[in-house]
This record gives sequence, structure tokens and C-alpha cells, in this order.
Amino acid sequence: MPLPKALQNREFRSTRSGAFSERLIVISLALCATATVLITVGIIYMLITQSAGFFRSEAVTMSGFLTDTEWTALQSKDLAQAKFGILPLLSGTFRVTLIAMIIALPLGLITAIYLSEFASARIRSWLKPTLEIIAGVPTVVLGYFAILVISPSLQLISDGAFSTFNATGAGIAVGILCLPMVCSLSEDAMRAVPRSLREGAYGLGCTPFETSVKVVVPAALSGIISAFLLAFSRAIGETMVVALAAGTLPTMTLDPTQQAQTMTGFIVEMIKSESEYGTVQYYSLYAVAVTLFAITFLMTLGGQIIRRRFKESYQ
Amino acid sequence: MSSIPDAIVNQDAKFLTDNAKRRKRLSLWFYFLCVAIALISVVILIVLMVSIWSQGQSRLSTDLLTRAHSELEIERSGMWPAILGSLFVCGTCAVVALPLGVGTAVFLEEFQPTNKLLRWIHGFVQLNISNLAGVPSIVYGLLGLTVFVYMFNVFGQIRVNESAGMEIMGYKHFYQVLTLEPGHVVFVPQSDPTKRQTTFDEPFQAVDPDGNPIKISIWTPGTPKPSDPAIRRQTVRAGAIGGTITERNWYYFRLPFDKSFLSGGLTLALVILPIIIISSQESLRGVPSSLREASMGLGATTWQTVRDVCLPAALPGIMTGSILAMGRAIGEAAPILVVMGAAVAKSSGPKHLMDDAVTMPVLIFNWAGRQQDEFKELSAAAIIVLLVILLLLNSTAIYIRHHVQKAQS
Repeated sequence: MPLPKALQNREFRSTRSGAFSERLIVISLALCATATVLITVGIIYMLITQSAGFFRSEAVTMSGFLTDTEWTALQSKDLAQAKFGILPLLSGTFRVTLIAMIIALPLGLITAIYLSEFASARIRSWLKPTLEIIAGVPTVVLGYFAILVISPSLQLISDGAFSTFNATGAGIAVGILCLPMVCSLSEDAMRAVPRSLREGAYGLGCTPFETSVKVVVPAALSGIISAFLLAFSRAIGETMVVALAAGTLPTMTLDPTQQAQTMTGFIVEMIKSESEYGTVQYYSLYAVAVTLFAITFLMTLGGQIIRRRFKESYQ
Repeated sequence: MSSIPDAIVNQDAKFLTDNAKRRKRLSLWFYFLCVAIALISVVILIVLMVSIWSQGQSRLSTDLLTRAHSELEIERSGMWPAILGSLFVCGTCAVVALPLGVGTAVFLEEFQPTNKLLRWIHGFVQLNISNLAGVPSIVYGLLGLTVFVYMFNVFGQIRVNESAGMEIMGYKHFYQVLTLEPGHVVFVPQSDPTKRQTTFDEPFQAVDPDGNPIKISIWTPGTPKPSDPAIRRQTVRAGAIGGTITERNWYYFRLPFDKSFLSGGLTLALVILPIIIISSQESLRGVPSSLREASMGLGATTWQTVRDVCLPAALPGIMTGSILAMGRAIGEAAPILVVMGAAVAKSSGPKHLMDDAVTMPVLIFNWAGRQQDEFKELSAAAIIVLLVILLLLNSTAIYIRHHVQKAQS
């Protein structure tokens, strides 16, 4: 029987060139994916080779880097007098991050509970975009907000106990920055908790408060903790806010009213000072970046693993 | 008959009602707490907008949009070069990151591996992408600084007036020499690229600033000086020294890239790549598998299915994600600051591929960190412009999302 007219003159198999171009496309797509791995390899290779230039210098020792309580890479032009101890920068970073977390975690989590358990569709429809807008505000704008509004109000409230640039102002701004992230990730985790669990809790006579705090939150805990870790690593890596509002003096205190140069803040100051390529001060950039990268990498990895490993799956 | 459990027997009715009341009250208080805290984010946003508007609205003028940064005329400083710079940097970023990101997402979602080793690699790449999304942007900045700006110093370092790295195309070197007419220069094409300057003792062939070839004669001090301006323009003092000047076409290309907008754009592409990949993957995942199966059933190959079925169906999602990622790129300051430096003195947009540029966030950062109140106000005004641009981008994204949701339902 002859083929219908519409099907005559048709190819029913891939031609050789068709098969070849299909292969070519798959390969080029695979190359795109390889590029992402190359980026990671590039980051690690760059950090190792460049920071080697720092640790090889005679002015620096590994133990000094980890234990010295002074960091004067920018202040002392003379290399012999420069002190390279990462602790003050770490202390600055953790002061700012701690304050940010005090703001972002409770606020974010409770907003997420509200959004997933209580809010009506109408309230959601304008609260969610509000959070998305906050999440989309460039960080440099929040840094400006910190020096324009937050720090002056802190000074006003405390009668000038805060210095112009201080860890608290920067910390609050970073907290605002992390809030939408904590909120949306935790909310996703809580929405994934099946309805039957909530109904079970209500059936046993739980109040809405008990249902959300004692049933939904524990059920979504892996997602919430991974959200916390991701927010923490975001806060550690945050740059523009601290560069504008946290000050430029590396200090080794616990006092949140003082200046606090963070690791990222130091990198920005170093770049601004335009120190010459190849000097120990220049390479110290990479030593700081290694520390920063190691901390955030572990945090993110931990967050990912917790989310995957401890994910409760409900059928 | 079994006895009644203790828990039910020993119960005090008053205790129970009190307990229930207490729990209900607690729940109500918790509800109010939730509402109050949820309102905080709204309050924050309002305070942010109002404070920046009140600080910056007096500086919103045409000067701001059309003029360049100026130390002398602070009052009339503007952000035009920064707007152009952001456009160029983000354009480069989009050109690089979009195909790469969507390509990766398609590969990871549509070409699922079949054997165990490939599956392991697939999982590794996936984990790697989630990790890249968590790397601080400033680390990407340092990556850009090392890889694009200096290229590990493999091609030599670029120094002002000393070395231009390895130039590949789009350049012409000239010696520039002063004629007897004050302020008038002529150019001599450079033959030996290593000689940074040269002296002129004999008549030579040159081009004037308009590009016309002219013959230049030499005047030795002691002999009478020509007085006619036309001749003076074609005469050079004996022993005059010519320094190098370079004319660059728009396609000027060299290695390493130095602090150019190209380096900045490529670095930004690295920053937003994970975001684009993750959002594209999510929208590809949202395409119902029945569509794929139908296409496969009609005899299409995997790539044909992806090209003609999956990508068109996922396009709105991919576009929304990409627009949001571009919004992130426009507002990103840290990597740009590391790669291109904090200088804002540039008075025009980039002229060639290797030209430096100022971007809006860097300009805002620079102005915000200054002592003068004028600059602080200008900074707020520039923030308003930036936020308006972001708002436009985001509303486009929201429009696409809603429009398509309606069309699909």
C-alpha cells in the first residue's frame, strides 16, 4: 500500500548530519555545565596560589595569622611593622553577623509562620511582594540607609554612646537584608508540611499557636535550619553595608558600639587603597578571602546537606 | 469492664477550663505578635523609601541625569557615565550569563543521565551550583581580579605609560610631537612598538590631527624661525621628542583585560550564573512531562523536544528569573568595586572594549562615603534613579508572571 501523500518525501530517521548536530548540541550543553564546575575549581585554585604568595612572605607566619590580635595591613606602610592576625577581622565579622542574626532569624521565622499559618490570601498578596522588594534592594542602598538612618538613631537613643560607624548599625542593616531570605526559605519549608499533620493537631485540641510551634515548625525544622545557615553565610559575606557603615578600624572587642572592620570590609578598603600588585599587603587580600570562603562554603554545604539528608518526606 | 484511665478520672473541671482559656489567650497573643512582626518589614520598607526620598528629592534634576561626576562643581555632579557604564557592564553580563545559564539548566534537567557514574557527576554538578549560589559576591570579585584583570600575570602587567600587555587588535600607536605653532601636534606612525619615545632630527612624514598626511620639516635653533602659522604647523624643532599615543578602535582587544568594563561584566556574569541556572531549572521542572512524552512519541529527538516544546513552555519562567537576576546584577557593587576599582572620575561611557567604566552602585558607594552633604544628597538621588530602574525591571517580571499565569490557567 502506498504511503499517504502527506507522508511521502518525509524523512523518518535522523539523517547523518541531523544526528551529528544533535550530538554537537548535547556536547555544547555539557560544556556549559562543565563551566560551572570550572568556576569552583577556578576559585579554589586562585585562592590557593595567590594566598601562597602571602604565606610565603617572611613577614607572615601561619600561627601569627591565626593567633595575632592585630591586623595592620593597611595602617603600616612598612612591612616589618605590619601585623597580620586575622582574629580582629573575624571578631568584627562575627559581631556584625551576630547582630544581624538576632534581627533576621526571629523576625524572619515569625513572619514565615504568619505567612504560612495565619495570613489570609489577601494579606499574603501584599506582604509577599513587600518582602520581595526588600530582598531586591541593592545592598549598597541598605548601607546608605544604615549611615543615614540607623546609626544616627542609635546615637540619638543612646545619647552618643555609639560611634559614627559601629557594628550595631551595620548589623541591623545586614539583618534587614537577610530577613526576606530567612522568611521565604522557612515559609517554603513550612508550606511543604502536609495539611493532615495540622488537621491532626487541631483534632487533638491544639490551639493555632501550639499547632504552628509544636507541630509545623518541628516538622519543617530541617528546612528552617538550612535557611538559618544560608542566611548566616550570606551575612558573613555581605560587603557593601559593612564597607559603608561598620567603620575601617579592625578591633578585637565584644563592644557593639565600636567600629568593626569585617573581612569583607577589609577587602574593600584594600582595593580602595590601590596597593601595588604583588606586595604582601596585596596578597593579604587573598588570605582574608580564603578564610571568608572557607567559612561560607562550609555553612552553605552544611545547609544543603541538612536540607537533603534530614528532609522529612510525606507520602 | 475496664477501668477509666487516670488521666481522665483525676481531672478538675476548673483547672481544665482555666487551662484552655490560658492556652487560647496565649494563641491569641501569638497571633498579634505575628501580625506586629510581619508589619515590621512593611514599616522598614516605608522608612527606607521615605528617608531616601526626603534626602535625595531636592537633587533630582536633569543635571543628575546628564552630567558627570565633578569634584569642582559638586552641585552639578551627575551620573550619566554611570548609567552608561551600568548598561555596558550588565549588557556584557547578560550576553555571557544567559546562554550559559539556560544551557546548563537545560542540560541538567532534560538530559538526565542513565548510568551510575553519570548520575553521580550530575548530582555533584547540582550540589556545586547550589554552593556557588552561596559564595559571597566579593570572592567572585577577587576571582575576576585574578582571572580577567591580571590573568595570573601571564601576559605581563598593564602599567600606565609602560606596558599595555599583549595587544591583539584594533590599535594604532603614534608618536606625538609638538610643532612650532603652540598647542599644535602632529602624529607619526610608530614602527617599533618597544620604543616608547623618539627624537626627530630629519624631515619626516606625519599626519595632522584631522588625519591628512603632511610633510614635516625641521627647524634648528639659531636659524630664522618661520613666522607663517601654516608653515609653523609643518615644522618641528630639531631634537624634538615624541611620546607614544595610542588610537584605539571600538574593537580594541588585549590580554589581560585590565580594569575594563569587559572584566566587570564577565565577573558579574559569574555572580548571577547560579541564580539563572536555578530559576531556569525550576521553570523547566514545571513543564508537565506529558508534553515531553507527546513530543517524543511523535518521533522528535531529545533536543528537538527541548527546543520546540520545553523551552517555549518554560520561557516565561526563565525570563522572569533572568530579569530578576539582571536586577541583582545592576545593584551589585562589591565585585565591580574589586574588579574595576573605586574611581568615579570618568566623564563618558566606555569607548572601546578595554575601556574602564563607572557603574551606578559604585558611584553611590563613593558618594555615600564622602564627607560633603552635597554628595550624600546626590547619593540618595542616584539611589532613587537606581531604584526606579529596578522597579521597572521587577514590574516587567511580575507582569510576565501574571500575564502567563492567566494565559495558562
